[in-house]
Formats: sequence, structure tokens, C-alpha cells
Amino acid sequence: MPEAHGRMTVVTEREGVLLIGGALDETSGLLDLIGRAADHKLVLDLAGVTFINSLGVRDWIRMQAAATKAGVHVEMLKVSEPVVHQLNMIVATRGTGSVSSFYAPYACDACGREESRLIDAVANAAALRRMEAPPMVCPECSQPMAFNDFPERFFSFLSPEPRG
Amino acid sequence: MGASILIVHPDRKTQRTVQRILGITGYRIDIADDLEQAIRLLAHAQPVLIVVDGAAVLGPHAGPFLAAAKAAGTEACMTLLGGPIGDQVPKLLGLGAVTNLLVHPMPVLAEELTITAHKLIRGDLFGIEKYLLWGTELHALTLTRASQRADQVARLAEQVRSLGQSARVASMAMLVTDELLSNAVHNAPVDAAGEHYRKDLPRDRELELDAQHQVQMRWGCDARYLAIEVTDAWGTLDRDTILGALAKTDVRDSGGGAGMGVALAYRSCDHLVFNLAPGQRTQVIAMIDVRYPPTERVPASSYNIFVERAP
Repeated sequence: MPEAHGRMTVVTEREGVLLIGGALDETSGLLDLIGRAADHKLVLDLAGVTFINSLGVRDWIRMQAAATKAGVHVEMLKVSEPVVHQLNMIVATRGTGSVSSFYAPYACDACGREESRLIDAVANAAALRRMEAPPMVCPECSQPMAFNDFPERFFSFLSPEPRG
Repeated sequence: MGASILIVHPDRKTQRTVQRILGITGYRIDIADDLEQAIRLLAHAQPVLIVVDGAAVLGPHAGPFLAAAKAAGTEACMTLLGGPIGDQVPKLLGLGAVTNLLVHPMPVLAEELTITAHKLIRGDLFGIEKYLLWGTELHALTLTRASQRADQVARLAEQVRSLGQSARVASMAMLVTDELLSNAVHNAPVDAAGEHYRKDLPRDRELELDAQHQVQMRWGCDARYLAIEVTDAWGTLDRDTILGALAKTDVRDSGGGAGMGVALAYRSCDHLVFNLAPGQRTQVIAMIDVRYPPTERVPASSYNIFVERAP
């Protein structure tokens, strides 16, 4: 059963691994999640996060700072596009955590389908460092899909230093 | 000499394009190739509006030019960015003097330029209708309790999706709306001493909003823009606060106040418009372009700050 933290939901997949969903805002209480770490590691699956506002961002920054202070490494999995958007806009949200995979926008020139596709940030690390989006195939018409944003902007959250 | 508009741009084709667009206002159009020539023209003219090249404003004559424009009584200085945007936007924002920045190329530029010019020249600033096509259905609501914000934001996203718009557009709309409503409820109200007495209240605390505190929201989509308008009855957001917020290159944990919300809203839409009637009302209009995919747009946003003149 998902636990409700305001408009955010939390499901414990296993010890130290949490599935986060819903809206991250003033009601989320993200700091409490640090206590759920196992062996100094907290894995957050963010696929279900649909919205994060400036108050959620502040809470997120505080959570990251608390994790660093407590010696907890935060690993982010399946980071949804709304969260990527904030990680790109606000450098402080990146903290000292790592991103293993994330969703990114793709569009098919042939049939017009638009879709958020999961990118493995570890397997594609070299291409992503060159700001190259991994190739994707349209599930509807099997034609190649094009990355549907500016790579320099969308992938900037993966850079150790902020880009201008 | 009669009322005029001054265009300052080195490129002859751009001069002609802007001249054709603004000629419909009926004002005489003066043209200068550079800021030095513009300064000489300003000694003899009082243009109601100046349209200036962004690259020129970043040059060495910007200070004397802006001073000459102010001395001539010009209230509006519209800056155009053409070609590669690069780091020009942060530099222009850093000047703290550009009240109207239009970054999009033609044909969007023509729309933005025409509407901006008409608003300035007529002194008729308020209303989302000016940015949407005739016949666009507008949805309106009034926030009477602070807790309605989250529900209305979620409802807006559902409605936007039901209109066939992408998840990305809905997500941007949610973020912009939430920040603008939050600012209007918590940052706009001031007491007799000018203190923003609600800015540090926990945002999840329920607040009943009386007539003075109620927030009006309207939105509509004309298949060009999804436009969202939020209006409060305080008129406390000022030009310097807006420019300071827009200039932030990194939005950090900065405590209360309107800055973070304004900065996030600006970075989450394609055009942000502030209509300010000091002491009476503040209206912010955010527009998300739904025509073009992100890769076919410039990676920056236009903004306008309009301040209503005292009657």
C-alpha cells in the first residue's frame, strides 16, 4: 500500500529502495525519507513523480543536504521529466546524489508520436557526456525517433559543473 | 514633432521588417543604425517607444543611450534578440534595465511586437484576450481558500491533457500556475507598513481569502498558445523585484518572497507578461507555445513588464 505524504506517495519496494509518486510540494516532508536509507544508501525511484513546485524544490534541496551530512548516498532511478526539468534549472537540487536512469522526450517524425523514453545513464554515459541522445525506435511505426529537446539543455543536469 | 517610435538596429532588413509591423500604429517611425545615432535623434524627439537591438544594448554606448531615452521621457524600451541567443539573455537580464525582451524570430516576433506596441501606445495593459485568437474559450475561477491551489493546478493539467496537449505542456502549465497562484496568495498581500505578512506562513496552512485576498485565474488555448493569467488585488509586485528574479541564473533556497516563483515560471514558459497597477492589482500572464516542438524554438523566453500610468 502506498503511504501518503501530503500529495506525494511512497511505496517501499525493499529496504532502502522507495518508489516515489505524485506531487512534491510543501506537504511532502522529504526529510523524513533519509531515515529510510539502508547501509548509508537511499534509492529513490522517481518515475511516478508528476509535479514538483518551488516549495518541493526547497524541501528536496534540504533533503539532499541532510543526506550528505548523514553520509547517505542518494541514487535516483527513472527520474521523471518534471524532476529533470528542476534538476536542470536549479543546480542545488542535484546535491551529491547520482542519477542511474531518467526519462527524456522523444518524437517520431514519421507518425508524430511523442513519448517519454527511459535512458540508462550508466550504459549511455559516454554519449551523454558528448550531449548525444541515445537512438530510439518508435513503438508505433518502427521509424527512428528524434530527441525532442535541446541536448545541451536537457542533459545539463548530468554535468558535474553547471552549464550557462 | 509628433509622437514617434524609434527603431535602433544595424541590419537594414530588420529595420524594414520592424518598420512595417509598427507602421500600423500610425506613429511616425524614426530609424537609427546604432546607439550613437539614436542618442542624436533623442535630442529632438520624444518617442513613445524604442525598439532596440539586443547586441547594441550590450555595447559600450548603452549607458548614455538609456540615459538619453529616459531624458526624452520614453517609458518603454523594447529589446530584440536576433540570431544565436547564446549567453545574451543572462547578460541583458543582468543589466536590470530591459523591461521588454522579445527573443523569438519571425513569425512569432511579429505577434509579440504588435501586441506589445499596441499595449504600450494605448495604455491598455490588462487581459489575456490580447494574446489569444478571437473566439478562444476562456476558463475562469476565483481562489477563495488557499488550499484550492493544489486542486486547481491538478484540474488544469487534466483539462489541458483532455484538449489533446502533450504531457510536457501540461507539466509546464502546472508549474507556472502553481507558482503564480502561490505568489498571489502568499507574497502579494501587504499591511499598512508595507510588510508582506503572509510570505512566511506555511504554504500548507489553510487561509480563507476575503474579497481583497481572493485571486482570479483565467486560462485558454487557441492552438498557438496555452495562456494562463493570474491576478491579485494588491499591486505590490514591482519592476525591480521582477528584474532581479529574472536575472537569477541559478535559483537556490532563497527563503520566502516572490523571487523563486517568478524565476521558475519564467523558465517554464515561452513568454511571461507582467501587468502592474501599483497599489491596485498585479496580473501575470504566462504563455506556452504549443505549435512548435522545443527543438524548433529558441532556448530562451520573452518577457514584458508593463506599468500602468497614473491617470
